[in-house]
Amino acid sequence: MELAIRTEHLTKIYNQRLIAVNDMNLEVPKDSVFGLLGPNGAGKTTTLRLLLGLQRPTAGRAEVFGKLCGPNAVVVRSQIGYLPTNPKLPGNLRPIEYLDLLGKLSRLPRQVRKPRISALLRAVGLLGATEQRIQTFSTGMCTRLGLAASLVADPPLLLWDEPTAGLDPTARRFTLDLIRELGKTKTVVVATHILSDIDQICDHLGVMHEGRMIFTGSMQDMKKRLRRDGFSLELEGDTDNIRLLVNEVNNLEGIDARLGAGQVLLVRIANERGRSRALAEVLKLIDASNLSLQAVHSGQNATENAYLQLLQEDEAHGFQR
Amino acid sequence: MDSSAKISLSTRMMPYLAILQHDMRALWASRLVRLWLAATAVLTLMLALANWSQFQNAPMIASLLFPYLVFPWFFVVVVLGVSPVSGSRAEALADGILSRPISRCGYLIAVWFARVMLVWSVYLVVIVPVIALVTLAKRPVPEDTVTVYGIVTALFLVGLVLTFLVSLGFLMGTLLRKPLLAVVVLIFVWYPISLVLSVFSLEEFSPISLCQAMPTQLRQPWREVEGSSKVNVNKEEMNAFSSLSNFFSVLSPTKPQPKAAKPDFFESKEFKDFSLGWVTLGYGLPTLMTIILATLSFYWRDL
Repeated sequence: MELAIRTEHLTKIYNQRLIAVNDMNLEVPKDSVFGLLGPNGAGKTTTLRLLLGLQRPTAGRAEVFGKLCGPNAVVVRSQIGYLPTNPKLPGNLRPIEYLDLLGKLSRLPRQVRKPRISALLRAVGLLGATEQRIQTFSTGMCTRLGLAASLVADPPLLLWDEPTAGLDPTARRFTLDLIRELGKTKTVVVATHILSDIDQICDHLGVMHEGRMIFTGSMQDMKKRLRRDGFSLELEGDTDNIRLLVNEVNNLEGIDARLGAGQVLLVRIANERGRSRALAEVLKLIDASNLSLQAVHSGQNATENAYLQLLQEDEAHGFQR
Repeated sequence: MDSSAKISLSTRMMPYLAILQHDMRALWASRLVRLWLAATAVLTLMLALANWSQFQNAPMIASLLFPYLVFPWFFVVVVLGVSPVSGSRAEALADGILSRPISRCGYLIAVWFARVMLVWSVYLVVIVPVIALVTLAKRPVPEDTVTVYGIVTALFLVGLVLTFLVSLGFLMGTLLRKPLLAVVVLIFVWYPISLVLSVFSLEEFSPISLCQAMPTQLRQPWREVEGSSKVNVNKEEMNAFSSLSNFFSVLSPTKPQPKAAKPDFFESKEFKDFSLGWVTLGYGLPTLMTIILATLSFYWRDL
C-alpha cells in the first residue's frame, strides 16, 4: 500500500509540560479520505502542524510522500494544501488578490495561476464576491475562500482542519460533497470532532485521544468494533399493536427489542446471528401486524458508538500504559 | 540556455518577491506609516524653516538628520521592525504563508527587506528634497563647503543606522514574540547605548556622536586634495548646532556627549578622525548579526 503520510513515534511536548502528540504511529494510504477524529485538545491540529513543519517534533519523525517534514521542507509543503480552522485571512485584500498571492507563493506561472483562480472562485461560489474585501466576508465565505486557497497549487494531499466548523447546512453539504469529489483523485485528511462528517465522507479513520492514536483503520474496521449491531424501525399505528410486536420480536432467537421514544422499535441483534436474516424475520412480523413501517435506520450511530467505546476503553486502560 | 536559467531564477524568486510586494503594500496602507510620513515631513520642514537663516548647509543638514538618529523616529522604526513575526500576526502568518512552499529563512529575509525598503523610502522621500532645497536655495548664511560625496555618505550612514534599528526590532520581535515587550526592551537597550559604547571606547558609534560628526562628514570631499582648502567651519555655528542636539537629547536619558575616552575625537569638536569605513563596519556587522540571530531564532520556533 502506497502511503501519503507516515509518522513514526511522533511526539510533541510543549514547554516540557503539555504532551500534545504522544508517540504517534500513523499511516495514511494514498488517495484515501482519512478522518482524524478526536475530542477537542486531542492533538489533531498539532499533528497537522507537525506535518506542515510549522512545529518541530520533540521526538519521532513524520514523512509526506516519503519526504521528511520540517520547517524548511519546502518540497513537502508544495504537495500539501492546508485549511486551518477558521482561517485567518488578510482582510485588506480581495479574493483574487489573495489567491494570486498564494499562487505566487506556490511558484505558479501566470498562465496557470489566473485560469485556476477563476475556476476555484467559481467552484466555491465566490465569483460574485470578487469585488469585496475579505474583511467583509462571513465565516462561511472565509471558509470557502480557505478551501479555494488550499487548492490553488492543486496539491496531491489536502490537510483540512475542521472544514465544516461554523458553516450553515448548505455550506456544510457543499463542503462534504467537495471532499467526496476531491477524494477520488487526492489524499484528503480531515481533522474533526463531528462524527457525522466522518461517517459520510471518510474511508479510513484515525481516532486520537489525549495525544495518542488509539485506533487506525478503515471505517468498516471501526464499525466492526461495536459489540452488537442494531436497527431502529420507525413505525406508525396503534401503540398496543407496537407493544404486541415488541413481544413477538423478543420471542425470536438472538434478537432483543424494545420500544423507543416516538413509536420507534429498537432492535439489537446478537453477534452470533446473521443481520440480514434477523432483519427479514422482524420485517415479516411487522408485515403481519397492522403497523406501517415509516423508516429503517441501520447503524446510524455506529461510528459514534464505536468512537465513544474507544474513548472509554482508552480511559479504562490508561493506567496500564 | 540563458533564457531557461533566467526563467528558473525568476520562478525561484517568485514567492519572495510576492511577499515583499504584499508586505510593502500592507505597510504603506498602515496608519503608522502614513502618520510617520506626514509627521517626518512636517518636522523636517519645520526644522529647515526654523534654522533657515541661522545654520550653514552642513549643520542645517545634520540638524535635519538628527530626528532619525536619536528621537523621535528611532521609536517608529523600531516598532516597524518588531511587528512582522510577533503577536497575533504570527498565527495568521503560519496559516496563510508559512504553510506554503517557502522557507522560513526566505520569508524572514523578504519581510525584513520590505521594512528596510519602507524605512529608507520614507526617509529619503522627505529628506532628499529638503536637502536639495537647503543646498540650492540662496540663504542669508555664509557659503558652506558641503560636498555631494558628503551628502551621499551622510544619508547612507543615517540609513545604515535605521537599517540596524529595524533589524534590532526584528530580532527582539522574533525572540520575545510580544511586540509591546520587545519595544520596551529595545528602548531600555538603545537609550543608554552611548554609555555602554563609552565603556568599550566606541563612542563614535553612538547616534549622538554620529550626529555631531555629521557636519564634518558633510564637508568631506571625495578626494582629500579637492576640498582641503575649502573647509570653512564656523565655530559659533557648531556651538549652536551642539545646543540643538542637546535640546533634543533632553528627551532621552543619553548624555549628549559621552565621556571622552578618545580626546582627539571629541574634544576638538571637529571630528576629523571620523572614519566612514569604521562606522559602516560598526553598524553593518551588528545588522548582519541581528538578521542571522533572528533567522536562527525563527527557524527553531514553533508556530
